[in-house]
Amino acid sequence: MDPFTKTYTDLDRAIDEVRTLSDDWPTLHQNGTIDDETLHCACLVLHEWIANLHQHARFPHDSPRVEIRLTGTAQQVDCSVLDNSDGFNLTSYLPADDEDPEAFPERGMGLRIIKACTTELSYSSTEDGLHCFEFLIPSDHDPWLNTLF
Amino acid sequence: MSFDAETASAETVIIHVGEALDFRNADDFKATFQEHVDDGIRQFILNFSDTEVLDSTGLGSIFSLYRAISPDDGKVAFADVSEPVQVVVQLTRTYKVFRQFPSVEAAREAFTG
Repeated sequence: MDPFTKTYTDLDRAIDEVRTLSDDWPTLHQNGTIDDETLHCACLVLHEWIANLHQHARFPHDSPRVEIRLTGTAQQVDCSVLDNSDGFNLTSYLPADDEDPEAFPERGMGLRIIKACTTELSYSSTEDGLHCFEFLIPSDHDPWLNTLF
Repeated sequence: MSFDAETASAETVIIHVGEALDFRNADDFKATFQEHVDDGIRQFILNFSDTEVLDSTGLGSIFSLYRAISPDDGKVAFADVSEPVQVVVQLTRTYKVFRQFPSVEAAREAFTG
């Protein structure tokens, strides 16, 4: 399947368009390659990640820019989001598996959702000074959080 | 952006969530429900029929509503849940706390019945 690639210089627009990804990447449904639930999970992870950049990232050198790249097979969705922020250490913000959050939290669920939906994720700097968030969602993944209540 | 809230009865208000409840309008959602909580409403039906996005901050604002009304045995029901919202409901197992109904009307009947 052809990969989907799109670059945004407006993070609000990126967030708005991520929700209609299946319209922009029609081969998904034409081929029936990726099921709706996996696609919705991918959209949710992308939304949470870009929302995170929108609210917390610093873009000291240029205006924000993100490039979304998606490839899909019957088995999995692979995705990367390249950004020009000054980055951060994702590992230090990810909740530990044995960490109990407060019940009915108002904030702080975004990275938990990202972690639950994905089986592999990383955020690292690239050779050309950008940062790249990468994740994988297998189509047979059954994500859930059991620590919110 | 404010949310469309409709009084269903003396005890129940329906909030039509619209296209998105996310970090950009969660404060508006809280302002909307708070007005009705202050008026003594303790039963809320959230209509998700048109909702394409419910993110973690949006869900957090629904938790905030639940925390505000649960000490008085208040209830929050989810109605006509769209596919993207259903993914969040399943992921977070919120169906354990918020009953789901196929339509606003069905939720209304359950609250009045």
